[in-house]
Amino acid sequence: MSTKLAAMILAGGKGTRLKALTRKIAKPAVSYGGKYRIIDFPLSNCANSGINDVGVLTQYESSVLNGYIGNGEKWGLNGVRSLTSVLTPKQTEEGSAWYLGTADAIYQNLDWLDMVDPEYVLILSGDHIYSCTYNDMLKTAEKNKADCVIAVYEVPMEEASRFGILVTDEKGNIVKFQEKPKNPISNLASMGIYIFKYSTLRAALKEDAKDENSEHDFGKNVIPKMLKAKKKMVAYKYQGYWRDVGTVDSLHAANMDLLLKKNDATNIYTVQGANKIYSADTHSGPQYIGKKAKVKDCLINQGAMILGEVDHCVISSEVVVEEGAVCKNTVLMHGVHIGKNAKVFNALVGPASRIEDGQEVNGTEDDIALIANGDMEDL
Amino acid sequence: MKNNDVIGLLNFYTAPSLGEITENRPLGSTSFLGRYAFCDFALSNFCNSGISDIGLMIKDHQRSVLKHLGSMSAWVTNTKVGRMNIMVNEKGVLNPLSNTDVANIRENDWQLYDSKAKYLVFQSTHIIANVDLGPILQEHIDRGEKITIVYTKIKDASKEFFSSNLLRVDEDGYLTSLKKNDRQQEEALASMEIWIINREVLVDIIRKNAVWNERADMKAMIADVLYAGNIKIHTHEWKGKYVRCFDCFDHYVEYCNELLDPKVYCSLFDQPSRHYTLTQDTPPAIYGEDADVRNSFIANGAIIEGKVDGSILSRKVKIGEGSVIKNCIIFSSVKIGKNCHIENAVIDKYSIVTDGKTFSGDPMKYLFLKQGTVI
Repeated sequence: MSTKLAAMILAGGKGTRLKALTRKIAKPAVSYGGKYRIIDFPLSNCANSGINDVGVLTQYESSVLNGYIGNGEKWGLNGVRSLTSVLTPKQTEEGSAWYLGTADAIYQNLDWLDMVDPEYVLILSGDHIYSCTYNDMLKTAEKNKADCVIAVYEVPMEEASRFGILVTDEKGNIVKFQEKPKNPISNLASMGIYIFKYSTLRAALKEDAKDENSEHDFGKNVIPKMLKAKKKMVAYKYQGYWRDVGTVDSLHAANMDLLLKKNDATNIYTVQGANKIYSADTHSGPQYIGKKAKVKDCLINQGAMILGEVDHCVISSEVVVEEGAVCKNTVLMHGVHIGKNAKVFNALVGPASRIEDGQEVNGTEDDIALIANGDMEDL
Repeated sequence: MKNNDVIGLLNFYTAPSLGEITENRPLGSTSFLGRYAFCDFALSNFCNSGISDIGLMIKDHQRSVLKHLGSMSAWVTNTKVGRMNIMVNEKGVLNPLSNTDVANIRENDWQLYDSKAKYLVFQSTHIIANVDLGPILQEHIDRGEKITIVYTKIKDASKEFFSSNLLRVDEDGYLTSLKKNDRQQEEALASMEIWIINREVLVDIIRKNAVWNERADMKAMIADVLYAGNIKIHTHEWKGKYVRCFDCFDHYVEYCNELLDPKVYCSLFDQPSRHYTLTQDTPPAIYGEDADVRNSFIANGAIIEGKVDGSILSRKVKIGEGSVIKNCIIFSSVKIGKNCHIENAVIDKYSIVTDGKTFSGDPMKYLFLKQGTVI
């Protein structure tokens, strides 16, 4: 039985704008939502879509990430007929090279894809936050006999120039692609999620590899080239929560999106949608809220111990907030310790960081303070 | 390190009833601190002690136990080498009086005969303690003992360990007498229902004792061995920080509440040994803008919009706006509506309390709401 759809998750990015948070771990391994790492989202989406063959392409600071992915068990991707492979740059007869771009990363693993032998290949980013299944998108590919389906997300027109923008005809066929255009003529942003017919993709990547002027990037090179070659390319409109968190502020904001609000705005359950997001089991103790604690408007994971006051915070496992400490509008990642009477406002505190007794951290709503002084072993 | 020479047996038979809570489930799969089932602790002890060949001697209500165990990989280190076998005494269903732990072992004797393991380590589900079984087993082996019983010193037998036998031991650590806890106000040595028995010795004892008494259980057989006098039974005093014997409903409430004291909590949780349980992949607990929570254990998946104090909330519990929950133990998937006021109650799974309801139990005698109650 051949495979219908295999997934390749691009997880090699550095995430420079997340500063110290990604000094020792790749962006897909960054914590999110008190319990998750960002890559839990695409991996859970694959699992929930019934995709059994998943390659995760890693490169930058990959030790934590590779260990985390393991055999895919955390997402149930280790059952019979399942294959989860961490694909790192490798030595071959031709020599060895780093992944030069998104397209090159897939090109260097065509042998893996040949082994899986899928009809379609799903290309995903390992650092996007959204919960969905890819089944409808695959149906779009099959129905249209498309060579490529690109997921698009409607962004406000004034922000469109930050994205790769697609122009479609009335049937959803992609007629034009603009990479970060100065004067966008559409607000359909490419999400960097593609389903390719594997035979088409294989040929396109081989061709791209020979092109010395190519940056070997899907958005910059492969997609425009396929469009020029009149391949059948269709847009798939994604609706729902989707975030590409590039900065400390946007990561903070995406965490706060998960809190429970009175209006119909997002919260963890709307973001999660109909399917579960799977993650590592931390074997934490129960979450304990102390006698003098005050907890409201928070998302708090198992294993946290809250003895102080927390308001509008996202708090991960093994976090301790000591008595008298106050945290507001703050993200506390795994293993953070907030000392007695410390005050932490508008901040994002990286894994295993310590805020000393009485210390004050004052970010502002427009400029979130980043504290990342944790021991690297505890990331 | 893995120990090939040992089979761990988790004995569900020794657990006492907690009244209505354990009417449709064994104590081993009863909710504890919102996040665990009781059997997690003994299974974690096996795992943390490197004992990976496990038999689960299930007395009844298998469905409840099996649901909690899932694929059974949560408590083993190597999923190939480690194995957890379900031991059920099918005949016991028809004949409850002779559904004993000994009958279970006989019914599942392949567990003993298929193995080359020399030692069997029994634990019970109702005694919660972090016990490193490794050194105790090593002592048993080094001394060349045949049976070792682990006990703990208790201050007042009238107040705890109601279901355990009380021991007397001589100066060499050998057991001299056993009696049921008759609740005298006195210091005592209480059995933690952890027994190390050489496999061949157990086979021999069963052959000699159980064949003519089909109602014999392990505790009775150990007493028989003691009084027959031809095997000396060694004892080991466990001196760890936290041990509680969950032997009745009131103790269940008392011991759960006691863990809200950080000192007690840390004596159970703040140490290197981990506690494993089945992951449910529920999101973290979420607290609304008007929530006010203190002095409580909250499990993942809980959605709290009201006031919670002195309580233990399990997975997927919902507390509506304006509700006040004080001194309650609430099992998973319970929904409390808006503007309710509930005090001193244990509310079992899937129950629903509709908007505006008020009720409370006595601080010394908690009210119990059965599974699936709708008020």
